[in-house]
Amino acid sequence: MNLNPAVVMDNGTGLTKLGFAGNDSPSWIFPTAIATASPSGNKKTGSSATSSSVSGSGTNGSNGSSNPYFGNSTSATNFGGLTGGKMLLSNNLAGKRGTEDLDFYIGNEALVAAQSPSYSLSYPIRHGQVENWDHMERFWENSIFKYLRTEPEDHYFLLTEPPLNPPENREQVAEIFFESFNCAGLYIAVQAVLALAASWTSSKVIDRSLTGTVIDSGDGVTHVIPVAEGYVIGSAIKNIPIAGRDITEFIQSLLRERGEADTSLRTAERIKQEYCYVCPDIVKEFNKFDRQPEKFAQFIVESQEKTKQKVVDVGYERFLAPEIFFNPEIASSDYLTPLPTVVDQTIQACPIDVRKGLYNNIVLSGGSTMFKDFSRRLQRDMKSIVNARISQNEKMTGVKSSGVDVQVISHRKQRNAVWFGGSLLAQTAEFRGYCHTKRDYEEIGPEIVRNFSLFNVM
Amino acid sequence: MPAYHSTFLVDPNNDRMVGNFAIMPLNTKYRGPAYPANSDYDIVDECLDLFRANSFFKNFEIKNQADRVLIYGILFINECLAHLKPNTSMNEAIKILTNVALDDFSLPGTPGFPLNAVYSVPIQDHNSMELLKSYIQQLRQELSMRLLNRLYADTQERPSKYWLGFTRRRFMNKSL
Ligand SMILES: Nc1ncnc2c1ncn2[C@@H]1O[C@H](COP(=O)(O)OP(=O)(O)O)[C@@H](O)[C@H]1O
Ligand SMILES: [Mg+2]
Repeated sequence: MNLNPAVVMDNGTGLTKLGFAGNDSPSWIFPTAIATASPSGNKKTGSSATSSSVSGSGTNGSNGSSNPYFGNSTSATNFGGLTGGKMLLSNNLAGKRGTEDLDFYIGNEALVAAQSPSYSLSYPIRHGQVENWDHMERFWENSIFKYLRTEPEDHYFLLTEPPLNPPENREQVAEIFFESFNCAGLYIAVQAVLALAASWTSSKVIDRSLTGTVIDSGDGVTHVIPVAEGYVIGSAIKNIPIAGRDITEFIQSLLRERGEADTSLRTAERIKQEYCYVCPDIVKEFNKFDRQPEKFAQFIVESQEKTKQKVVDVGYERFLAPEIFFNPEIASSDYLTPLPTVVDQTIQACPIDVRKGLYNNIVLSGGSTMFKDFSRRLQRDMKSIVNARISQNEKMTGVKSSGVDVQVISHRKQRNAVWFGGSLLAQTAEFRGYCHTKRDYEEIGPEIVRNFSLFNVM
Repeated sequence: MPAYHSTFLVDPNNDRMVGNFAIMPLNTKYRGPAYPANSDYDIVDECLDLFRANSFFKNFEIKNQADRVLIYGILFINECLAHLKPNTSMNEAIKILTNVALDDFSLPGTPGFPLNAVYSVPIQDHNSMELLKSYIQQLRQELSMRLLNRLYADTQERPSKYWLGFTRRRFMNKSL
């Protein structure tokens, strides 16, 4: 029996979070992107600096942590060190899967490789679900052999899936992990449930329940997912077409309207992550900027050679950008429902006996919930929606309500909450008992992964 | 939270109105029919305070009489910004905006005005229409000059690029 820690993989639409169970945070965070050799690209004669270094000497055996591409990312589309001529690591790893086509790169290396015409970039996950299984398999293969640098037969794996993932998708995952990778055991967990488990780190959470409403906002989409006793209430889930990428694009449009010196998406995304916050009221906030000019900021963009600098002024986007969650109309003309209203509608669509638990455990998860005071504003707006309904009901029925406690939970592990929840569950002694093993798979077949039992670690 | 509404109370039965356009009090030295406001804060201040936020909204439901004046004021501020360039000095801007304020303009509720679903005025009543015209003239002058204070608060050399950035935004998808 092996005692290696389980591998925890959370493949998001934008970013992959990868590491070992029991750790506090993922060891690698990189774009869920893959660059594959373009069928038409004549890379042998490719003249660009990138393509020649791509085929250049391997640095096999180099320590992962010293590789610049392996540093943690916060962007799915931009790599800080993007420069044309950097060396890419050879894929020729331990000859493990020697005969296959290894001419591809993942993560930040993929972003760099894709700058040359011989590679094309794609994101194998769309809206949380795997769209291209061939690319996804190669992405996982590289994740295991190049990043984790482990033998899959020595590890159990915890993977994550979006809400309402079709069971066929799970079977595909099992086929790849058991047949191609030979992994020891597999558990596939619903992301929202892991996010709930991650919130147990918050001091506000006392009863470690798996009942709550998860707001998971990443790069491409925001899900509102009600969970009762560990089971997702699928019929009530709502998706909001506003997430990190939309916020970045909105910032870009504001920078352009002002004619700033650099209006790239990369700059807009960095401004988003470093300067933006949620305010209580935008009119008051505009006035604050008039009275306190120090609220304006400057963002310095260095050229690749670090010889030139561009100064980008940062203004109202600091509070306007995340405001699009609460006032979508300011950035879009076709989606108008504020997030607090969607959360309320989600909970109202659930059975009446679980609503109380859903209102008082609203849990945040994902990179795009990281804005300062996001939880405070959400809680305030939700309270006013709920209180308005209560007082209307009281007027109609004449019966005094006992009130509804609305509580939004924000915690230190929120950004990679799904991964962290996976790490918590997969480190327990019981975890392996809930996994399907290679032997189970061989005896019963792929349909074995249609069901996983929920497990309680309370 | 949708777009912001005026907080001024106008009673259409007792306050001065031309059709549904309120002749609201103004703090101004420009000549015209407005009564002086009974507090420091008047509808011009409110237009300037709400302009930036409301510029992002395409939908606006009129909730009170003062909202119609607010709409006019916000659209007029946008019109003023459209006449300035990133390097227009305050002295030049004073001349430019004085002309913009005094330029021929069409009255709300008359043919050619872009938002006539919102305004209705007694077009046949010559005296009322004269009152409306001179009131809006006065409003435009006061608003454009107070706008200058905001645009040139930091330096008289050029207007604030943060305000100028709103030139292409269209409150209610309209412009004067
Ligand atoms: N501190 C931050 N503030 C705001 N947005 C952030 C922050 N950190 C990361 N993000 C954004 O979060 C998104 C990625 O979130 P993540 O939950 O990893 O997405 P997914 O799981 O869908 O790939 C990106 O749009 C990124 O720009
Ligand atoms: Mg995610």
